Amino acid sequence: MEQPGSDTHLHNRSHAIFGDMSFFSKQMRIALRNCGTIDPDSIDDYLQARGYEALAKVLTEMTPPAVIDEIKKSGLRGRGGAGFPTGFKWELTAREQNEEKFIICNADEGDPGAFMDRSAIEGDPHTVIEGMLIAGYAVGAQQGIVYIRAEYPLAVQRLERAIVAARAEGFLGENILGSSFSFDIEIRLGAGAFVCGEETALMHSIEGFRGMPRPRPPFPSVQGLFGKPTVINNVETWANIPVIILDGAEWFGSIGTEKSKGTKVFALAGMINNTGLVEVPMGTTLRDMIYDIGGGIPNGKKFKAIQTGGPSGGCLSEQYLDTKIDYDSLAQAGSIMGSGGMIVIDEDSCMVNIAKFFLEFTQNESCGKCTPCREGTKRMLEILVRITEGKGEQGDIEKLERLGTTIKKASLCGLGQSAPNPVLSTIKNFRVEYEEHIHQKKCRSNFCDYLLTYTVTDKCVGCTLCRRVCPSAAVTGTPKLRHEIDQMKCIKCGLCFKSCKFSAITKTSH
Amino acid sequence: MATPHEIVTQKRAAALQRLAARGYDAPSKVFIGMATCEIAAGSKEVMEVFQEALKGGLKNVYVSQKGCFGRCNLEPTVDVIKKGKKPVTYGKVTVDRAKEIIEKHIIGGKAIAEYIIK
Repeated sequence: MEQPGSDTHLHNRSHAIFGDMSFFSKQMRIALRNCGTIDPDSIDDYLQARGYEALAKVLTEMTPPAVIDEIKKSGLRGRGGAGFPTGFKWELTAREQNEEKFIICNADEGDPGAFMDRSAIEGDPHTVIEGMLIAGYAVGAQQGIVYIRAEYPLAVQRLERAIVAARAEGFLGENILGSSFSFDIEIRLGAGAFVCGEETALMHSIEGFRGMPRPRPPFPSVQGLFGKPTVINNVETWANIPVIILDGAEWFGSIGTEKSKGTKVFALAGMINNTGLVEVPMGTTLRDMIYDIGGGIPNGKKFKAIQTGGPSGGCLSEQYLDTKIDYDSLAQAGSIMGSGGMIVIDEDSCMVNIAKFFLEFTQNESCGKCTPCREGTKRMLEILVRITEGKGEQGDIEKLERLGTTIKKASLCGLGQSAPNPVLSTIKNFRVEYEEHIHQKKCRSNFCDYLLTYTVTDKCVGCTLCRRVCPSAAVTGTPKLRHEIDQMKCIKCGLCFKSCKFSAITKTSH
Repeated sequence: MATPHEIVTQKRAAALQRLAARGYDAPSKVFIGMATCEIAAGSKEVMEVFQEALKGGLKNVYVSQKGCFGRCNLEPTVDVIKKGKKPVTYGKVTVDRAKEIIEKHIIGGKAIAEYIIK
């Protein structure tokens, strides 16, 4: 029987099929090794791809401490974004003396434009189950919970089917594979609050309370779900575990950079030719990501910035293109690794507006528990709105900076601590755009409506369409003659610009 | 008593047998992307074309769904894996293209270069 790549290393599988595609040449698939190569609804397909062999290996020949040692040695760090060493996390829970412990899979993927977790679960649900099982064995837990967004119905369905199939085959339940280890997994649906991706808020939500974070310590590894020691990891982290067990910590540790091992999955989106789901070894540069894998910027436009880490991350300008993708390099450059959102921004986008967009998101999603986040982001957003409406004042940038740094320092959880990042990083890298908006009332990307002037050019044939669509009667003119826009009456809605069939209306910003 | 390792090895052998019984050994295998994103791009309709073809008498072809393999802008995607040949992945597969793939590639044996993702 044909079994692509199943001979030596698990991770070779998808390359055996897609390896010669240019999109894949710089990629390396560990977490996504089965995505797109097996039928996710069939446990037979997963078994064929050496599924549950890692579980068998740990149950047969490894003691729990040996499993933890192996994960520690691999250098795997949490793929949810914060990058805490996974092995250490497990060890903290393993050390606790408690009859009841929990394993949680965080599949509450909330970043706008991110779909790594969804794709991973939809493509290969069993690997998450296997990863959780291995952790359960290593730390002495009997119950696993997958916390997943209700907005991912297909992922939930496939995971449910996978759990049922795994139970039927005896991979979940009592005395797994004839051993003394028992473990089961249940699914909890999240209602889509962004803050529930934060571990303590997520646990509150599972417990039936409102999804709000609490101060740490105590950390979940000591006092987590229902007050019990809990290991919580992200989907991608779980997907890496079986490969580390089978292919070895040493091999895993040979991939990546000094402090960031293995690969990272990214959802490449925005102004890029090859939008897609990408898994690259740590240490790949942003330039490789954008130009080699992503195929560059469409329509001959110029690259302006790359936003990593979703609403908690930052925007990096062209000078950072050679930054390596790993936890520390991205942090040093002023952004974060995050869970894997990567949005490419071209010259047509206004950086102030991008910052506003992300802050609007976090402001909406702020749970309201702590003042810095609840009030601070609100005030910051007000200033940003003012700036984009042409009402920016001297000192606004400094105010944003001061507020931003305070919010970062004083907020309770990761949401607030990172919410100002998009603003602070755009101020750092694109300060001149902020200054233009404030002092010259100019938006160089012609994006901020309030700073634009619409004018009719000689191309106008006098079709009267713009006059008819204008809601404020700012357009005047007689049929077949060039029309005019009264700037005093214009409300900058852009309807005339959009409706003109002759490209006779231009928008400019001073 | 059998070790967990032995049990999984047995289970794997059984799984391979079940797959073989489902026609996994067929000379042509077709994998159709059926993740949320692929379905949104129209892969359900593409799947139907292949299912219809199987009902209509298409032989020696194993048709299966697959997860997202990452080419969002080229979805729906369809892999055609013929024994002894390099696997081929088609992008932006429509109902018409699917019919063409069955006709020319799966039956005719000639890949359609135009639709292949490079």
